[in-house]
Amino acid sequence: MSQIPNLENAPINLTEIRTRAQTELLNILRDIKGDKCLVIDPKLSGALSLLVQSSELKENGAELRHLTAEPIQTERTKVVFLVRAQPDLMRFICSTIHNDTSKGLHREYYLYFVPRRLVSCENVLAEEKVRELLNIGEFSLYMLPLDEDVLSFELDLTEKECLVEGDETAFWNIAKAIHNLEFSCGVIPNVRAKGKGAARVADILTRMQTEEPVNTSNMGIPLPEINTLVLLDREVDMITPMLTQLTYEGLIDEFLGVKNGAVELDASIMGNQQEGKKAKVPLNSSDKLFRETRDLNFEVVVQVLRQKATSMKQDYTEISTTTQTVSELKDFVKKLNSLPEMTRHINLAQHLTTFTSKSIFAERLDMEQTLVEAQSYDICFDYIEELLCKQEPLEKVLRLLILFSITNSGLPKKHFDYLRRELLISYGPEHINTLDSLEKAGLLRKQDSRGNWLTIKRALQLLVEDTDTTNPNDISYVFSGYAPLSIRLVQHAIRSGWRSLEEILKLLPGPQLETKRGGFSSIPSYDTLPGSLNSSEKLANGRRDLVLVVFVGGVTFAEISALRFLSSQEGMAYDLIIGITKVVNGRTLIETFISDWDK
Amino acid sequence: MAGVSVAAEWQLLYNRYYRKPELYQMEWKQVDLTRNKIACAPFGGPIAVIRDDAKIVQLYAESALRKLRIFTSSGRLTAETVWRNPGGRLIGMSWTDDLTLACITQDGTVYSYNIHAELLGTFSLGKECFENSVVECLFWGNGVVCITEAFEILAVPDFKMPKTVKLADCSLEELPHCMAVIEPQYTKSGDVEVLLGVGDHVLLVDEDGVQPLADGIGPLQKMVLSRKGEFVASFTHDGRLLVMSSDFSKEFIDYTCESALPPDQLAWCGSDTVLLYWDDMLLMVGPYDEPVRYIYDDPVILIPECDGVRILSNTNMEFLHRVPDSTVSIFQIGSTSPPALLYDALEHFDRRSAKAVENLRLIRTSLPEAVESCIDAAGYEFDISQQRTLLRAASYGQTFSSHFRRDSIREMCQMLRVLNDVRHVDVGIPLSLQQYKLLTPSVLINRLINAHKHLLALRISEYLGLSQEVVIMHWTCTKISASTAIPDATLLQILLDKLKICKGISYAAVAAHADKSGRRKLAAMLVEHEPRSSKQIPLLLSIGEENSALVKATESGDTDLVYLVMFHIWKKARPLARDLFVKYARCYKHEFLKDFFLSTGQLQEVAYLLWKESWELAKDPRAKGSSLGPRIKLIEKASNLFAESKEHMFESKAAEEHAKLLRIQRELEVSTKQAIFLDSSVSDTIRTCIVLGNHRAANKVRAEFKVSDKRWYWLKCFALATIRDWDALEKFSKEKRPPIGYRPFVEACVDAGEKDEALKYVPKLSDPRERAEAYAKIGMAKEAADAASQSKDGELLGRLRQSFSQNAGGSSIFDTLRDRLTFQSLS
Repeated sequence: MSQIPNLENAPINLTEIRTRAQTELLNILRDIKGDKCLVIDPKLSGALSLLVQSSELKENGAELRHLTAEPIQTERTKVVFLVRAQPDLMRFICSTIHNDTSKGLHREYYLYFVPRRLVSCENVLAEEKVRELLNIGEFSLYMLPLDEDVLSFELDLTEKECLVEGDETAFWNIAKAIHNLEFSCGVIPNVRAKGKGAARVADILTRMQTEEPVNTSNMGIPLPEINTLVLLDREVDMITPMLTQLTYEGLIDEFLGVKNGAVELDASIMGNQQEGKKAKVPLNSSDKLFRETRDLNFEVVVQVLRQKATSMKQDYTEISTTTQTVSELKDFVKKLNSLPEMTRHINLAQHLTTFTSKSIFAERLDMEQTLVEAQSYDICFDYIEELLCKQEPLEKVLRLLILFSITNSGLPKKHFDYLRRELLISYGPEHINTLDSLEKAGLLRKQDSRGNWLTIKRALQLLVEDTDTTNPNDISYVFSGYAPLSIRLVQHAIRSGWRSLEEILKLLPGPQLETKRGGFSSIPSYDTLPGSLNSSEKLANGRRDLVLVVFVGGVTFAEISALRFLSSQEGMAYDLIIGITKVVNGRTLIETFISDWDK
Repeated sequence: MAGVSVAAEWQLLYNRYYRKPELYQMEWKQVDLTRNKIACAPFGGPIAVIRDDAKIVQLYAESALRKLRIFTSSGRLTAETVWRNPGGRLIGMSWTDDLTLACITQDGTVYSYNIHAELLGTFSLGKECFENSVVECLFWGNGVVCITEAFEILAVPDFKMPKTVKLADCSLEELPHCMAVIEPQYTKSGDVEVLLGVGDHVLLVDEDGVQPLADGIGPLQKMVLSRKGEFVASFTHDGRLLVMSSDFSKEFIDYTCESALPPDQLAWCGSDTVLLYWDDMLLMVGPYDEPVRYIYDDPVILIPECDGVRILSNTNMEFLHRVPDSTVSIFQIGSTSPPALLYDALEHFDRRSAKAVENLRLIRTSLPEAVESCIDAAGYEFDISQQRTLLRAASYGQTFSSHFRRDSIREMCQMLRVLNDVRHVDVGIPLSLQQYKLLTPSVLINRLINAHKHLLALRISEYLGLSQEVVIMHWTCTKISASTAIPDATLLQILLDKLKICKGISYAAVAAHADKSGRRKLAAMLVEHEPRSSKQIPLLLSIGEENSALVKATESGDTDLVYLVMFHIWKKARPLARDLFVKYARCYKHEFLKDFFLSTGQLQEVAYLLWKESWELAKDPRAKGSSLGPRIKLIEKASNLFAESKEHMFESKAAEEHAKLLRIQRELEVSTKQAIFLDSSVSDTIRTCIVLGNHRAANKVRAEFKVSDKRWYWLKCFALATIRDWDALEKFSKEKRPPIGYRPFVEACVDAGEKDEALKYVPKLSDPRERAEAYAKIGMAKEAADAASQSKDGELLGRLRQSFSQNAGGSSIFDTLRDRLTFQSLS
């Protein structure tokens, strides 16, 4: 199965977005005639694998290399660099060129920036006196469909960039991506944003519309395809990503790490006999069984797999014992086609249970629950202290520590200093930098006000008792009892608007914003039409309205699952598309904060 | 019939009719074509006139200084200037495709004028021309070929890139009789090629070589190429007109004229007939039959167009062209074709005659074609009332015809309205429909703008639904240049009034023009109105509004623009700061940042940088084994800086402890002779000591850093378990009663997989719940259940039971699943 997902069922024409990017990339290669060496920024190779098969690149005369600090060695006379616009990457390019010139090699160099060229990068090239040797272009890849309902803006490191370093480049890029989308789908009339970055994106988006208006009348699009844009900043909800995800896809990411819609693991796990080899398993909706199970709570996935296997066994028994008509045989053979998918997921699921059946896993879930409940301060403190003493992996400890800090609106001065010192003693003094970053991001801080987590938790009903994971009726099933705060906010934004929640929203970080754009006064916003009453009408005309939910900062698979769950609910009048900067989990998110002094 | 008068003016050449309606009575007075050099631009373009200095003429009441005058095709003077250019005689003058007048003087200087007779620039054809004067030159669309006194042939392939190329030497001994150019766009090589009539043959010359053609054809006196360069018309020494393919391989016409004297002018009319002009006679020769003769008393100039020839005389301008088929079918004498009957029907209808219906009935089946012909014929008419009548006929016919593309009439009306507007004597661009289509509306608009007919251009673009931006933009720039006397604020208002017509127009471009015209203040006011930050900011920078640029860049959210401004400011204002910045960008050292943070009073940030620097010293491979002094010094400096503010006491102390740690680690490395301590954490240092069996050192570090009992016990248990020193572990447990209980001992053993060792400590766990879980971990279900029941904790018991059943079942679930799929091999 290809790693490039099938997009036929997408609510808007995502195939077009992808095709455009594909064509742009291939045209770049075709325009540079003859054989060439294509040097790719390693951070981009994942995105590219979602666009084109590497064989297709080779067909266009490209030999593939990764950009590293080492100068590129190649026989080809044309070298094409495809890199993100990062000043530090320019250095690598310079070193290759300098290396060539010192050897007296003359090559043609092409440099394509993704998604656009930046002054700061070109300055570095000019300083190194290679600017003149390069033909510079742009590959304007602002977004990329990750799946039929997920768009990725392909931005890295945004949490730290925004929260600690104050770099807003990512916001501009997100706004640009949405604005580009508007050129094919029309101006999105309703915008809701919460959080500093989200409000900034909304702001830039408005500015872009005045600078470069999407002219709806000329484009022949009578009505915008997307009705509402909900922008949510990750800083609003840092609780959810710190918790262990319990959906199938979420768990795979927690334990095995999903990269660009695929997971890599030992081939032996997947039932292949070759020892030591790695197997890449694509994970997207093109796999029907995965499509069915990815968003389910893992407990349920095990049951589903069991049922399927049982029914297949039964069919087999019937086939072999009783005489069958041809059409019944045909049905059976059809079912057999799903065998490889079945085996694949049974293998994966079994591999996951080796983690989840450990008592330490249950213990951890218990502790997360206790932290979120925020009723037993001492138990939490002792537990974290013990983890520090035992020098458990730093990310794991930080996940709980951050939960602890946020749910208590910071830690009392004495404990704050104590835990920080314990952390330095366990993991080394360089982590003063980690602590500094976390503090600047507001993830680990001194208590300075009365806690409001309990109020938020209660008002938004984040903890749900007796969650039925098999037949869920609420998004809380994704964390077996905790409803992700972020998705609760989206749920309210879509259902009834944020007006009724104003007091609660004020307790969460960052400004909130609701605006109407374009000349679409005729289009109702959700504030005026209560969802349930409206929904039946909307459904009657066959097409559901679209809501684009954009996470500024990373998002977890569990949150995506929760959104899909919302969208699949009966009486829900809207289809959801999810825009993400990057899929994260607690570990990957925290890794960006961990001291870079070693690097 | 109605058409009689129309067709009476036509001349028949073989089976085709030609006509030459008058376009204009020339508005000019006292322009004598014979006294002047004239350059007429095709597509109804302007006419440049200058007194010919190669002729001896009588001066009337006029200055001895020559004037270059520019007229419209209707003979209206639009601009003039005195010709004072040095360089000898004016050899040639012609309009390029973008309506620049190129004038070449004897010394090979090219003077370019715009249509307002303003000198745009000059360039030289090179020293060859300077040394040997230019004798003759031949222009085409955007280029020129010259021949010098030394018989060198030079070409400028494109005036936009004034570069001279020298064509191959064809060792001429005298001037060629005649010369023709094949434009680069029509040659195979893509380079210009020149045909020379030399001796009794023709030479084809290009950059690379000379190729003789048409040997023995006899001396050619005149030669001209058809518009697309596929045919050549030539006049031989013995008075014959030859039309041949341009490679002289095929002959199409060979007509013997009455005079052997070469004609003054030789021109193609469209692509099927050739015009020859002698003193008072114009002869039109076609492939068959006798030529048509026109007699002119006055001198004329032939201006070839794509679909005919304009004939300019001192008093009027005519357009000689073939009568189109549709017009013929309507107006030909005695025509009973459907279009003619339709046209006739309209006349009857106008006179309220019933014959109209009869006519219509006659042509019922071919009505659509008849309508189409009327529309088509209207398009070729220059006379407005004739256009109207034809269109009315079409419209009349259309009402009776259901299968007809109804847009045709509307489209034709639209084109004719535009054409009639520009043909008006005030504008003077006599375009035919065909020329208009070839020229394209946007080029026409550009020409109007160029002639400063902004309002007309604006109206036409609006009417045709084209972008008005170019018009407004050009108007604005022209207005700025022309309004030096109007104060900034007033002018701004005038400009804004017009600029707002056009959404999305680039205010920045206008502002840039204002700035170039020396009106910086106006530029600053204009750029305020530019909505696109990416255009606004570079301009603000160029007019020195750095602060405003920085504010706007920050607002835009586009960090690239912020960088742009910063780089600009640094480059411009503060060389020192700039150097530091560059240095920072180059090597990522902290000097620059440190200075920055110091200047903004962020001491803690400086401290972090120092601390980081000390860390990097350790990572530097050159620093291996060197003294710790510099590192510790940096850390201590950081500690002091942190101590400057109360909020950073923690960091200050942490830095102190780091320095202390480094010293202790160095001591340990010296005493153990093992370089494994530096830059590990306190915990790791203690662990290493224990693993090495150096318990004294471990205790010392513990004391130095006041490590808690809790940590100490966990650390030591796990360290001993790592080296599997179970005796030491047991000894440790007996040292004294462990202050945090026996759990670390149990876990260390369980983690190491030593069930028996673990069992030594499990019973010592005081809390029955912990005991239960410990038993559970080592798989002793019964003991676990006992302990759990002892604790009287029902919830725990339940959980244990569940986890057991799950674990037991857990692994088997999948085994059974796989068993069920054993029939895989079948598929």
